[in-house]
Formats: sequence, structure tokens, C-alpha cells
Amino acid sequence: MKIFKALAAGFYRTLKAWKGILLIWFGSLLTVSLVAIPMKGFLKSALGGSMITEKLRDGIDFEVFGDLGSGFRNLIASFPSGLLLLVLLGILLNAFLSGGIFDTLKGSSPKFTGNDFFKACAKNFWSFLVISLIISAILSVLFILLFILPIALVAQSDSGSESAPYITAVISFALFFFVSLIFILTADYARAWQAANDKSACFSAIGYGFSRTFSKFLSSFPTMLILVAVQMLFTFLVFAIMGRWTPDTGGGVFLLFIISQIAFYTKSGLKVWRYGSVTSLKEINDLMKEEVAPPVSQNFQA
Amino acid sequence: MKKTLLIIFSLMFITSASNAQIINKEPLSQRITGYRIDAKLDPVKKTVTGSMDAFWVNKTADTVNDIQLHLYMNAFRSSKSTFYMGSYQVKDTTIYGRIDISSFTLADGTDLIPLIQYIRPDDGNPNDSTVVKIILPEAAEPGDTVSITVNFMVKLPGKIRRTGYNDDYFFVGQWFPKFGVYEPAGMRYRAAGGWNCHQFHPNSEFYANHSVYDVILTVPDEYIVGSGGMLISEADCGDDNSYKTLTYRAEDIVDFAWTAWPGYAVFTDQWRHVKITLLLPEDRKEQVARQFTAVKNTLEYLTGNVGTYPWPHLTFVDPPAKGSGASGMEYTTIFTSMSSYKMPGFIHFPEMVTVHEFGHAYFMGILATNEFEDPWMDEGINSFWEARIMDHYWGENSGMIDHPLFKMADKTSARSSYVYSPNRQVVSNKENSWNYPLGTYSMMSYMKTSTWLYTLMGIIGEETTNDVFREYYKRWAFKHPAPKDFIDVVNDVVKKNYGDKFGPDINWFFDETLYGTGICDYKVAAFNNIRQDTAKVRKNEADTLLRIKPSTDSLYKCSVGLDRLGEVMLPVEVLIHFSDGHETLSNWDGKDRFKKIEVLSNSEIQWVKIDPEYKIRMDVNFINNSLTYEPDRVPVKRITNKFISFLQFFVSSVTL
Repeated sequence: MKIFKALAAGFYRTLKAWKGILLIWFGSLLTVSLVAIPMKGFLKSALGGSMITEKLRDGIDFEVFGDLGSGFRNLIASFPSGLLLLVLLGILLNAFLSGGIFDTLKGSSPKFTGNDFFKACAKNFWSFLVISLIISAILSVLFILLFILPIALVAQSDSGSESAPYITAVISFALFFFVSLIFILTADYARAWQAANDKSACFSAIGYGFSRTFSKFLSSFPTMLILVAVQMLFTFLVFAIMGRWTPDTGGGVFLLFIISQIAFYTKSGLKVWRYGSVTSLKEINDLMKEEVAPPVSQNFQA
Repeated sequence: MKKTLLIIFSLMFITSASNAQIINKEPLSQRITGYRIDAKLDPVKKTVTGSMDAFWVNKTADTVNDIQLHLYMNAFRSSKSTFYMGSYQVKDTTIYGRIDISSFTLADGTDLIPLIQYIRPDDGNPNDSTVVKIILPEAAEPGDTVSITVNFMVKLPGKIRRTGYNDDYFFVGQWFPKFGVYEPAGMRYRAAGGWNCHQFHPNSEFYANHSVYDVILTVPDEYIVGSGGMLISEADCGDDNSYKTLTYRAEDIVDFAWTAWPGYAVFTDQWRHVKITLLLPEDRKEQVARQFTAVKNTLEYLTGNVGTYPWPHLTFVDPPAKGSGASGMEYTTIFTSMSSYKMPGFIHFPEMVTVHEFGHAYFMGILATNEFEDPWMDEGINSFWEARIMDHYWGENSGMIDHPLFKMADKTSARSSYVYSPNRQVVSNKENSWNYPLGTYSMMSYMKTSTWLYTLMGIIGEETTNDVFREYYKRWAFKHPAPKDFIDVVNDVVKKNYGDKFGPDINWFFDETLYGTGICDYKVAAFNNIRQDTAKVRKNEADTLLRIKPSTDSLYKCSVGLDRLGEVMLPVEVLIHFSDGHETLSNWDGKDRFKKIEVLSNSEIQWVKIDPEYKIRMDVNFINNSLTYEPDRVPVKRITNKFISFLQFFVSSVTL
């Protein structure tokens, strides 16, 4: 019951935070454009007045990209570093904007105003950044320990079974997935706590995150599972549809752009729903705790 | 008495091997060599111990003083062998392989061991012992048969490089002393008769006569065996009940390879007269149907377009992960594929390997070219057919990968490997396999050849190409064709089908592609449309370029500039499209560095394409083959949009 209450409250608060989501969408578009626009410029200049683009009508044609020659090879070679740069920018942007979003999602939050939003973004930035970096680092280490390492060990063990590495990969990934949810939950609780506190205290926030994740595991984990599953399903559906959709007119491409951006806006909304639901869950649990006993620590007050 | 008996037995073997027919009604080849081998696998010591009776018949007019044999397994004897010096070094000497000869006699019992000389015809490497030469006590006159009996022990290499073992898995190829090929003057490029018997190099395959093989293999009971022969009988081993004895017969193949592993699951299928056997790990059962489909499609396509697969048996193996070093290799009637557990269906990699390796039954097996000296004739021609088969059966644009989000044709894969390579011009296709500079062997032998064969097909047409290969098969099946023999066939068939359309012969094509190192690159440099004073032009109606409709007043002097950027000169088509919808298709011999086409037309040129159907696949840049001043930017915009979405979702998913 608590789960559905939190999900419903989170959903309602997400709707209220639509302007904040708009800022997330815009920030994201701006960031990825740093990589995408030069790529488009390169393609336009490399293809010049060629009619080879006929071969791209039905989708990616490897032969065309191959013929782009060394320019394309250089582009591909620089892609991993470009992607890393984007991820770093994404982390910074996320740390900044989620400060405002979490503030907006508080039950006590007044009506959304740009002034309040950016004030909260600035106030929470450093602690949110530290929380993000710490939890991301933990997730990276877990990925290696729970996913990469078991597969490598099984593959090297020469067990003779062909299916063993595959089954290990599936089990390892499932394990990593479920364990990673715990840490995402921790990060969300920590940020919800930080947003509710005036003083910047990221380590106390992380401590609170862990404490709340495990003390309210039975309600928190299923909530997170539902939210992440919905996000994953949505992402899968978007890629399945967008990947197959190959418009061949300018209007069609514009429509693709609009719909894909709406899809990304929705994806951002689902992420904010996660933030909102965890914030609601925190508030529900805090309220229940207050009803049972007065708070022991001032820091842990909502 | 013993000597007499030996001679009698040897003669019986030669007579039975060269004439007796078990598999086919008639011998398919000359049967210059034949082997009877009795071998036992020791899976603990990782050895194969055997005795071999073999013969070589001098079917030339030469008096031959010596015999030469390959001892391929000695490639694994020393870290300083030519094989290991040319590839990665195996530091653990306990897993080195070798072949030890304990006795080597003529049929009359003459001991040949003192006469054995190790020779290094390719590189003079004193540490290489993969070829032996034996001066015969009596020279072999025309028609004579040299019969030998050899007792040997092979210690298999522990890191499988086509052949060897890993744990309890064995793939045994190139394992017995094997005659080289004696080539008389006039055969291939021979000025004088002599043995063609090369050392074992990492970047080379093999060359042998079509032979008859009677092979008795003794292996532990639990081992499942596959071989290039037809199983004649299976019985418990008399001496040891934990062993079994398998008797195989193979006719007119160039090598006898076999594999043994307790973990194989065995499946069989039938295609017309051919019984197909597949051995693969139990875990990969879900791959069985796709593997059989690949083989049957290849049989159908090659039978229809090249010639008959003459044997009633075919075995192929999809080795387990531990035997992956044996994957992707061909021995005519047995070959190895390559796949993995849960290989997704949209990746046609297992099919591609199967089609390719089985294709070698034709291009190496039946048409037994010298893989040492002319690797393009087996790998390149076979890659061309592989691509045709893959794209024919699995989709013109999806022969290699067929996913809704990404497709790739097999022919694209081959061309891209060639076009991408920064070394594509450092060497031509006429090199010996071991002489290719580092990293160019596969690109040149497989990919460039496949690409220029596609180009040839673009010029002479698909049906004539098939005629070429049918004729090539007809003339050269179960012989040893050289490059000149293939080119002769092309010349004859093209002449027959087209007369002098391409000149007195088509050697110019091979000079540019096979023997040349240049690249092919044609470009539409520019075009323009200059509006003319109609009345002035009309005065000059004798001008053959005048193309004006009386009903219209607009007249344009249209000019098109074409460039030849590469060294290769090939005939190309030029398609000009005008704004009123009409098009002109003209031919350019492609020889000049620059070509200007001028046309008077009542409408402007909208676009120009060189090689509009992309038939000249040697062209390293299709992008500059066309030009328009109003390019279609929609695909670029669409790709950019999708790229933006992908990045947005990705970054959002990996951030908290």
C-alpha cells in the first residue's frame, strides 16, 4: 500500500515539476549537440554533392561509411573520448538540475518558479555531485566485481561447458542489476534528504540513504524495481520503434525529431517520477517515524 | 623372402589404391599419390603413432632422382622454426609438437633414413625441418612407382593452430609424411621439372596431389571421430578392449584430416547424393539447423554455377571453445566451421564460415591450386563465391548481418576490408603467401581478390561469370590450375560470349587488378549548364551533339567533367540525368586522367553518376562517383537525429 501511495504521490509531483523536466530535456539536448552537430557537419561536408545518400535511405549502410575514408576513421576513433566527455558533462548537469528537481518534488514545495529552482540547483550542486560520484564509483566497481570478473573466471576455467559463461553472464548481470538498485535507491534517498536540509552535508546524506534503504527495504526496493523496470521497458520500446522508423522526407525527419524528443522528455519524466516516488516514500516513512517517536537527530528531519 | 613379400604387399596396395573404387565408380583424378595409414591416438601422451605405406607414380616424361615430402608437424618442433618465427611464440616447450620418423624404407626394404636431407627451399632457415628430400637409390623413370613405408610418431602441438590438441580435444591435420607435388616442365609456370614442396609458414596453406587414402584409426572407445573419409568399418580393438578401430576410405582428396573428442554430438542430413555429417558440442544443438542449411545452400549454388560435388560424403565440425584453434579450416571432405553457444540468428557468422570452408571443397579441393604460391586462387575465389552465396540466400543487403537496425552484405564486408586497408597498395596479388608484408595476407588474398572478381562480374555480367567458372571446373577439376590457366579460361569464355567487345583478350583487366598495385577511383568532378542563344545553335544543325526539341526554346550547353584519380583503368558507364527526366547512359573506357562530356540539351543536367549500379567494386570511393547540386540531406538529418536520441538516452541512463 505504501508503495502505491509513494508511486502515486511521486507521479503527481512529477506532473507538477514539468517545467523542471523541460530544463533537463533542454540541458541534455544542448549537451549532446556538442557532439552531434560537428558529426552532422562532418557528414554533410564529406558527402558533399554525392548521391550516395540514396544508399542511406533504408538505414545505415556500412559501405557508405567505409568510403568516407580516414575522416570517418578519425571520427570513430574520437567517439569513445567524446562519449566520456558527454558522460562527465551529463553527471555535472544531472548534479546541478536534480538539485532543483528534488527541491521541487518535496511535499512542502510551493509552486514551481525558476528563481527557486535555480537557487536549489546551486545550493545542492556540490553535495549532489559528491553523492553522484561516490555512488557511480561504487556501481562501477560492482560492475567489475559482479559482472566482468565472474564471466572472466568462468571463461578461463576451461570447464568444457559452452553454456556456463552464458549462464554466468545472465546470472551475474541479474545480480548486478538488483544490487545496483540498492545503490540507486541510496543515492535517491540521500538526495531527497539533502534537498530537505538547508546545510550541505553529503556524507550524512549518503549515511541516511544507506540507513533508510536498508531499514525500509521491503517498501523501498519494490518501489525502485517498479520504477526502473518501467524506465527500461520504455527505453526499449523507444529504441525498437525509432530504430525501425526510417522517414525519407524532410517532414518525416522533423516528425522523427519531435517524437524522439518527446520520448526523451517522457524518459526524463520517468526518472523524475523515480525521484518523486523516493522523496514521497521518505516523507511517508519520516512521518510514520515521527508518529512512533520524536526524531533523535536534527539532521535526519525531513 | 621378407623382401619379396613386402614388394608384393606394396604392389597390391598400389594397385588397389590407384584402381579400386569404393566411393565413386571411376577415379576422379590421376592418383599420382596414395596412402595407407594405420595410426593410434594416445590421448594421454597426446601422440599419434602410425605406420604408412605410400606411393608416388612418376607420370611425367622426366627421370626423377629424388622424392620430397612435407613433415608439417615439425613446424611446431622449435621456436625457431619458420612457422613459429613468423607468428606468435609459444613459450611452453612441453606443448611443442613434432613428427619423429623411426623407419623409412622403400618397398624393397632399402633403408632411406641415411638419405634424408632436410631442405629449406623458401627461406634457408636451418632450424626448419618441415621438408625432406631423399635422393633415390635408383632414379624414378617415367611410369615408375616409388613406394615407401614409414613408421612415425607425431607429438601433437598443445596450442591448436589448425592442428593439435587441447585437453581431450584433438584435431589432427597435416600429420603424416606427405609427398610434395612433382611438376614437369610446362605445368603451371615450370620451365624445368621439379618438386614443389614448400616449408610450413604461418600465412600459407597447402598443395598436394589428389590421393587415395585408406586410414585405420585406433582411438579410445569413448572418443567420437570425424574424418574426411568414408567410414568403412568400426570394430573393437583386438589388443585392448578400451580402444576401437575405425577404417576409413577417401578418394581423390588432397589431405586426410580427422578429429576426436568424447563430447561431440553427431547429426546427419542428406542433400541429393551427399550424406552430410555434423559434429558439434552438445550445447550447440540449436545451431544444427542453420549449419545444415548453410551447407545445403552452398551445395546447391556451387553445383548449379560451378560443377558437381562428386563425393557422396561430407563431414563438418563446429569445434568446441577449447578446440577453437581448429575452427575455420578446410580439408575438402571435412572442414571446420565456427560458432558459439546462443549465437544470435541475425548474425550470419556461422553460416558464413560454413559456406566459406565448404566452398574450399571446390576452390582448393577439386580445383587444387597451389595455396603456397597463389593464395588468391583458393581464398580469393572462394571468398567471392562465399559472398555471392551469402547474399543470395540470406539477403542482398543482409548476407552478413540482418538486424532491423543494422544490415550488412557479405560483399560489403569484403570490399570494406580492402578499401579500409592502409596497406592496400603495398603489394599485388601475385605474391607467394609467406611473402605478403605484415597484415596484408588476408586483405590481399581474400578481400582484394573477392572485390576484383566482383568487378570482373560487373564488367562481363553474372551469367558470363558463371560460364567462366563452369568452364574452369570442366577444364581443371582434379588438376592443378595456375593463374594463367584461370585467365585463359576467362579470355576464352568472354571471347565466346562477347566476341571482341572487350578487345582481343581481357588480360588488361588482370594486369590492372591481379598483377597491379594501383587503386581504382573515378570521380564526377563537376558539371555545368550554360544557357545558349537558341537561334545561333540551330544554325549548326549538323552538330551531332545537338539535342534539341523543336518545340522548346531553352537550350543548354551542358558540360560534365570526369576524373580518374586512381591508377587502375577500367571501363565505366556514365549516367547523366536531366531536369526534364530524360537520361543518357554512355560508356567511358576510363583511360584518360580527365574526360569532358559536352551535350546540348533543352534541359539542364540535374545529376551525373559514374558506374550508377556500383558494378566496379574495386572503386575505393563510391561517394565521389556521383554529383548533384541539390543533394538529398534527409538521410544525414535522420542519422543525426537518431544519434542525438541515442546519446540523450545513454547519458540519462548512466547518470543517477
